[in-house]
Amino acid sequence: MTADAATERAGAEDARLILAIAERADRAAFARLFEKYAPRVKSYLLRQGAPAETAEELAQETLLTVWRKAALFDPARAGASTWIFTIARNRRLDVLRRERRPVIEPGAEEAADEPLPDALLAAAQRDARLRAAVAALPPDQAEAVRLAYFQDKPHAEIAQELGLPLGTVKSRLRLALARLRAAAEVDAPRGDRP
Amino acid sequence: MSPQHHPSDALMADYASGAMDPARALVMASHVHACAACRDRVALAESVGGALVESLPPAEMAGDALQRALAALELPEPTAPAPSPPAAAPAGWIAVPSEVAAAVRRRRWVAPGVWVAPVLPPRPGRPLSYLLRVGPGMRMPEHTHHGTELTLVLTGAFLDGEVRYGAGDLAEADDDVRHSPHIAREGPCVSLVACDHPLVTDGRIARLVQAYAGI
Repeated sequence: MTADAATERAGAEDARLILAIAERADRAAFARLFEKYAPRVKSYLLRQGAPAETAEELAQETLLTVWRKAALFDPARAGASTWIFTIARNRRLDVLRRERRPVIEPGAEEAADEPLPDALLAAAQRDARLRAAVAALPPDQAEAVRLAYFQDKPHAEIAQELGLPLGTVKSRLRLALARLRAAAEVDAPRGDRP
Repeated sequence: MSPQHHPSDALMADYASGAMDPARALVMASHVHACAACRDRVALAESVGGALVESLPPAEMAGDALQRALAALELPEPTAPAPSPPAAAPAGWIAVPSEVAAAVRRRRWVAPGVWVAPVLPPRPGRPLSYLLRVGPGMRMPEHTHHGTELTLVLTGAFLDGEVRYGAGDLAEADDDVRHSPHIAREGPCVSLVACDHPLVTDGRIARLVQAYAGI
């Protein structure tokens, strides 16, 4: 399955919108991001079991954080949707689970360098390939991935819920991530890997 | 030397999705802090989250949602609480997040050569998070577990059977593993541990470790 060029352009466009906020506090860019992502972030939070009002509020806060932290967005490190996902995930942990996520990854707080247009497109292409690969996962792997990302279930709990041995769930997640990694890295290797 | 033992993909998915409990997430974060290869793996697992969220059918927002958001852009940013001053890791340790380094102050010696220090405040029903120091050549307290136990070596090394875990290495032991790793002869070993409470333990030292980890 090949990711289609329109969605790649859309991904690069989302990244440009965040950069426009960072560079010139562009409210029109914010409005476009809000229209696309707030309803999806709300949908994500509803799936996680948040009450509708809380989901609406956290979607608001997530997009407001995009506005405030836009200068920290590094399009070479993560696509727009990935960055927004991590913000929503952290707000969910803060508010719904009352847990603070350890923030430690070096470089996470460094301001981004001026990105090359190629880097924007390369990241967007990578995300588009990844979305296609997620949609094409075999059903048992897709189920494991969805339970992990949408139902707040660690793999040990997924195993219990599905009545499967722990090893089976671990291998499904391993196979799924191997597939997704391969899809993301096609002709776009990034850094050294053991 | 870069770490030789890395977390499984199942742990990566738990960590990146946010489904992992804080004790295990802190072990993961500390490994990732020290391991460039695993930073790339986290980035990949987070992009899976991005792809999933982007593919979701949009939920309906309140009618005035965008107006509210635009109005909120004008509000002054809430001031974040000042971060506590970073604590430096003791000499010879891998670089660790400051809350891990700061836990050393709370250490309690429980036996000759052995101390334990709680890292995250214990919460009922949640996994324990503690530092464990064991002297050179000693055996770690024999124990079995409920749930996956994660151990990250911060300094020194231990051997579990034939397998050696050195600084930065993450050991992942599932249910029903009954083991008693021993510390390498060169020097003491300090590790950051996350495991479910209560531990199923054998022996006096193991019981003391359990007691003090939950202070």
